[in-house]
Amino acid sequence: MKAKIFEIKRFAVHDGDGIRTTVFLKGCPLKCVWCHNPEGLTAKTELAYYAHKCVNCAECLKVCPTGAHFIENGIHKFDRSKCTACGKCVSECLGGALTLYGKDYTVGELLPLLIADKDFYAHSNGGVTISGGECLLYADFCLELLKELKKSGINTAVDTCGFIPKTALEKVLPYTDTFLYDIKAYDESVHIDCTGYSNKQILENLKFLDESGAKIEIRVPYVPNFNDNQIDKIGKFLAKLKNITKVRVLPYHNYAGSKYDSLGLKNTLPLTVPTKQEIDAAIKKLKEYGLNAM
Amino acid sequence: MFKTLEQDRPFIENKFHIVGEPFKPLGRWNYHGYAYDESTGLTDEQIQEGLKALSESIKNESHPVQKGKCFAYVLDNTRIDINEHDYFIGMWTWARPLTPYCRWGWETEKECPEAVETLDKYEYSGVAFGRLDYDHTVPDWDSLLELGFPGILQRLHDNYNEIVKNGGATQKQTEMYKGCVIAYESIVRFIDRLYKYALTKTHAKAKTYAECLKNLRDGAPTNTYEALQLIWLYFFIGEHIDNYQVRSLGFGLDSSVYPFFKKDMESGKFTKEEIREFLAYFYMQFSAIGNYWNQPMYLGGRDRNGNTRVSELSYIMLDVYDKLDIHNPKIQIRVANNTPKDFVYQALKMVQTGNKSLVFCNDEMITKCLMSKGATYEDAMDSLISGCYEYGIKDGGVAISGNLTNVLKAVSLVFENGYDSYSQKQVSIKTGELEELKTFKDFYNAFLAHIEYTTDDYLTALNKLEPGIADINPSLLFSGASKRCSKTMTDALDNGLNNGSGISLSGLGTAVDALMVVEDLVYNKKIVTLQELKTALDNNWVGYEALRHKALNCKHKYGRGDEKADNYAASIVRFYHKLIANRKNAHNCGYGLEIHSARGFISHGLKTLATPDGRRAGEETSKNASPHAGSDTQGVTALINSATTIDTAIVTTGFCLDVTLHPTSVQGESGVDVLYGVMRTYMDKGGQSIQFNVFDADLLRDAQAHPEKYENLQVRVCGWNVLWNNMPKSEQDMYILRAESLNK
Repeated sequence: MKAKIFEIKRFAVHDGDGIRTTVFLKGCPLKCVWCHNPEGLTAKTELAYYAHKCVNCAECLKVCPTGAHFIENGIHKFDRSKCTACGKCVSECLGGALTLYGKDYTVGELLPLLIADKDFYAHSNGGVTISGGECLLYADFCLELLKELKKSGINTAVDTCGFIPKTALEKVLPYTDTFLYDIKAYDESVHIDCTGYSNKQILENLKFLDESGAKIEIRVPYVPNFNDNQIDKIGKFLAKLKNITKVRVLPYHNYAGSKYDSLGLKNTLPLTVPTKQEIDAAIKKLKEYGLNAM
Repeated sequence: MFKTLEQDRPFIENKFHIVGEPFKPLGRWNYHGYAYDESTGLTDEQIQEGLKALSESIKNESHPVQKGKCFAYVLDNTRIDINEHDYFIGMWTWARPLTPYCRWGWETEKECPEAVETLDKYEYSGVAFGRLDYDHTVPDWDSLLELGFPGILQRLHDNYNEIVKNGGATQKQTEMYKGCVIAYESIVRFIDRLYKYALTKTHAKAKTYAECLKNLRDGAPTNTYEALQLIWLYFFIGEHIDNYQVRSLGFGLDSSVYPFFKKDMESGKFTKEEIREFLAYFYMQFSAIGNYWNQPMYLGGRDRNGNTRVSELSYIMLDVYDKLDIHNPKIQIRVANNTPKDFVYQALKMVQTGNKSLVFCNDEMITKCLMSKGATYEDAMDSLISGCYEYGIKDGGVAISGNLTNVLKAVSLVFENGYDSYSQKQVSIKTGELEELKTFKDFYNAFLAHIEYTTDDYLTALNKLEPGIADINPSLLFSGASKRCSKTMTDALDNGLNNGSGISLSGLGTAVDALMVVEDLVYNKKIVTLQELKTALDNNWVGYEALRHKALNCKHKYGRGDEKADNYAASIVRFYHKLIANRKNAHNCGYGLEIHSARGFISHGLKTLATPDGRRAGEETSKNASPHAGSDTQGVTALINSATTIDTAIVTTGFCLDVTLHPTSVQGESGVDVLYGVMRTYMDKGGQSIQFNVFDADLLRDAQAHPEKYENLQVRVCGWNVLWNNMPKSEQDMYILRAESLNK
């Protein structure tokens, strides 16, 4: 059994408690307009080309089997339609402008990489976080991986958007110490506008997780003009749950533009970023519902 | 009288030179701050004239006596200050006035010209910088604080009489005794002069000064303020008149001062608030002097029985320092397994908010290192830190000579068959023409051969100078305070203590990267020949940009958890260890190995031409145990795994790793857990010292202007970290804006 991974991030310190390694699985069922990990959207391997790092050395041309890379007037050009994402060009690139997102791993291949920093986890209450994309699209893989991590005595977290079948959660539940669970909107219409899909299943799944006694950290991306009117309703909804340990408001940023360009994707990032006052007000509002907001 | 620091602070900042006026950072003592009362003594020029005449008239006396008399002349005649804006005394003449009379002349007499020529050759070529070390002494603070200056003087008399009684003193012992007595008598007179001057003052602090000085004139310190004043007096006179740098304040400032603090608390002599204020004034002296190397002091650690030395005073000392928001003195935090976690957390919180003057030292490793140099378990626990991160035994010995060796240069020497293009000299042996180096093993062996030859050559040269150090600069103040030296009436630097020598590595990480590129491009991939690579280096990579990029992209680099590169680093360190393991210096003591570059990563870098790792001529090399800037692309955990691949127990004098973190990685409550996790794991893996750099917006601007220096800088954006250099300028701009807005 394999899963497609687009990044393994060591010293990840914001994906749960302490020092962690976060593994990002590729592919996501939602299409959030503000997505800052567009390389995690599709479940295919993709070549990213960061034009600002290209030194026009033409080394990639020499190894490209399909002619996707070519030089025009001394400037490197990339024709994505011809690219098969074979990745041969990546190691040749002198400027480091090419990155291949998506590599298949078995649990056995992944495990040593995730266990390398075990000592650091122990001293900081950290561990391993499985994230994405949406990692629970690979629920069986996650289950196998989580079982192995628990065998090694490692604290585990699963970062999910919740837009997955309940059965996926049921599978990983016994081996997951903490769920990092995104709530993007309470109103269904707002959720559809922001992500393309209804949130009914997401809220139902969260209630299920809560009932089952799982430890849950909620993450609310705060995006002005998109979901900034949802804080009160989210707070009201969460207040009824019993096992929410933290609610983290994540200020939206639009730094990910270069990733969209590098992947040849249309940049959907909203322009307006929140002020510190807005974020503080949102945290305050959530605290009024008795939530451990931050 | 108290709560005056805020108003006095600008005054103290101008005590040693005027803030804002230009200065040369390597000689802060060549300046003066506000003027002193002219009636209290002579000008610097008059002191120099007086010293010149005096030294002429006593030329036939022994060196210790000549120095003692010059020492006394300065103390008897310098201008003094008992300032209403300060609690610590002022001494006008501090430009190391004895140097021309009691050191330079004697240096020439004592030095062996061939040895100096050899050392010069290595210094000019950037192979190594080695000289006698006058810069790493830590006095016997226990004796000083227990006896005070008059008590030290009395002990000198008693011990000398004992020696005379038991069969007589040698001429050398007698001269040393005389020199020390002259020096210590002059200190007591100096304190008396300060006391009497304090009596003439009517300002609010005058009485406090007078009481303190009277007690120090007559005996040992009796309270916290007097203990600090004594440390200040010793430091100031030691560094500037005795001419040996004083590389720690107390045997742990908290440990040394705690008995006085406890007594003050019990007797009600001072309140905690008053003690905090004295400490603040004390720290401000070192901040005002502002030496570029920063005055070291340490806190925490363990006593002879293994009990923690952290007390209530440790927390206070750290807190007072934090509130002053200064970076000088610098503080080593000695962390043992039984050090209270909240104390370590207090220090880590300071790191989190941007303090970069704290270094965390692994107490268990210090014990291990000192024991491997022959110390007992108890002495090794109850030990000292001297300077940046060097360890020693209390009243045990000093490093008599220090060598900063440039590991990277040995790579260049292979390319030039022992010739050095920078200094245009054959500086090492011939290891073969490039075409003779058929395999990487040949190349690596040639690299090691240069290390072996040059190390032996400059250590041999230094050994010829080592016997002379005590006669060049008799350490009257330092030896006089030493319990051991006083007993034998021998200069500490003349076998009065056990004085080892040291060798410090600089540029280790860069050297490993350079070797890995040679193997990868020349021997494995065969993209270039050694000769072609040499041509690229000779041209400083100009015209060879593509090749340089290939070198920069080499997969195997030290500092990213790459097993191959890390093992080469470990192997090179073991090679140095073997070279010095059984070697004795001129004092029949051993050598300590240190991975500490000091300023070598800059100074040696300037003298090292382009190297195979992609580095251009003159650029910095790696510092301490850290990788070459930009090589640690896999984050801090991988970096630590790399550094601790080196067997740190054989690096017995000091080993430090620099860790760069962005504030967003360590902010908030959990950020301290992260710092603790990094530090504790590093130490458990055998790491010795670790220091953190948490960067802010200003730094990010620099990172934008010089991306090559920040290959490993990660920026926390939201749910993910990103390498700074992967962001185009427009996004970096926004990040900078955001960082600035967070500062507001």
